[in-house]
Amino acid sequence: MDEVRRGRVVGALQPGDLLPSVRQLAADLGVNPNTVKQAYRELEREGVVQMRRGQGTFASDMAVNGAERKRMLREVANRALVDAQRHGAAPEELIDSIREAARSADTEAAG
Amino acid sequence: MTALPTSLSGKDWAIRTSGLRKSFGKTVALRGIDLTVPEGATYVLVGPNGAGKTTALNIILDLVRADGGQVEALGLDSRRDGPALRAQIGYVPEAQKWECNWMRVATLLAYHGQYFSSWDDEYAARLVKRLEVPLDRRYGKLSKGQARRVQVVLALAHRPPLLVLDEPTDGLDPLARETTLSVLAEHMAEYPTTLLISTHLVHETERLADHMGVLNAGGLRTQVPVSDLQEMLRRYHAQVPEGWSGAGVLDGSVVRRSRNGREIQWTVWGDESMVRASLTESGAAVQDVRALSLEEAAISLLSDEETSHVEA
Repeated sequence: MDEVRRGRVVGALQPGDLLPSVRQLAADLGVNPNTVKQAYRELEREGVVQMRRGQGTFASDMAVNGAERKRMLREVANRALVDAQRHGAAPEELIDSIREAARSADTEAAG
Repeated sequence: MTALPTSLSGKDWAIRTSGLRKSFGKTVALRGIDLTVPEGATYVLVGPNGAGKTTALNIILDLVRADGGQVEALGLDSRRDGPALRAQIGYVPEAQKWECNWMRVATLLAYHGQYFSSWDDEYAARLVKRLEVPLDRRYGKLSKGQARRVQVVLALAHRPPLLVLDEPTDGLDPLARETTLSVLAEHMAEYPTTLLISTHLVHETERLADHMGVLNAGGLRTQVPVSDLQEMLRRYHAQVPEGWSGAGVLDGSVVRRSRNGREIQWTVWGDESMVRASLTESGAAVQDVRALSLEEAAISLLSDEETSHVEA
């Protein structure tokens, strides 16, 4: 489910893209097909996908909404915060070191 | 407080046993179990070796006679309509060796297929390919894992409404196990099937299971939908004061308790906020609450409630 949401946010999944069938995904992951169906249904309720009878499940053409993007970033931030805390670092330190890391990544990309 | 449920609610059962009893000499294998598998469910029956899993499956298939109790499966009385019932069941037995050892696998498939009007040669061929079954070898010469894969083909290729799998992943290497689970998942997506799977390795079938029964020493400790289990079973980690008198709190709901000095770790069945409240009221300071994987849940349910890991 998170994979599909992420795909939608980062643009890997375009509106109208066909997602794997329940059968295909269940077989690929070796999970109960009902679990896959449930996940698709939940994504449909959230408006991320659209299920068309007899045709399959499609990425929905709803514009990627900012709220979803924000939610995803919030999750990333939370994970980092928890990790930093475990290492005894304060949030401010984490933010500084993220800025630093981003700068050096930029320089590397430029060089 | 709520106690661990031992019966499922519902009405459409693929299998329903009542009061199933069986002893072998002085050894009691089953002490009156009421096992219910809802139609369309994937029911995993968990228990250590010797818990009675295979005996229960064999009685359901009418391969072994019970000392008492009844089995109704697919609307049939297994004792009266054994052959008719077995014709609608795909069965992977626990034992590998049987009377067909001398046959080449291709012959065995053709022979077995004769018994089932719904046998699908084309599907069998597809399964043989997916599971990399060696057709030209003699069945008796196969490794444990190869024989198990042949059994899976034999069980699935007539597309029975009910699959009874006794340790289906036993002896399989990790890759073959993944393939087998994938084949099962695809089969379930394509044909409406009820599965009853026995295993002592929960994590191997965890992704397929939607119901779990825990069998220990011939008794069914619990049977629940996996979703209930995920919602209701939690491990609570708490600090208790010196001379804590709350050990009896939540009696009947505690699945497993362990104590290390002033720290207690309890696995409890119940609504999380209510369990928290009860613990807090008793003077315990709850520090951490977490959900359990299916395997952790099974291990907790299989261990003896009072004596487990009690360290003074």
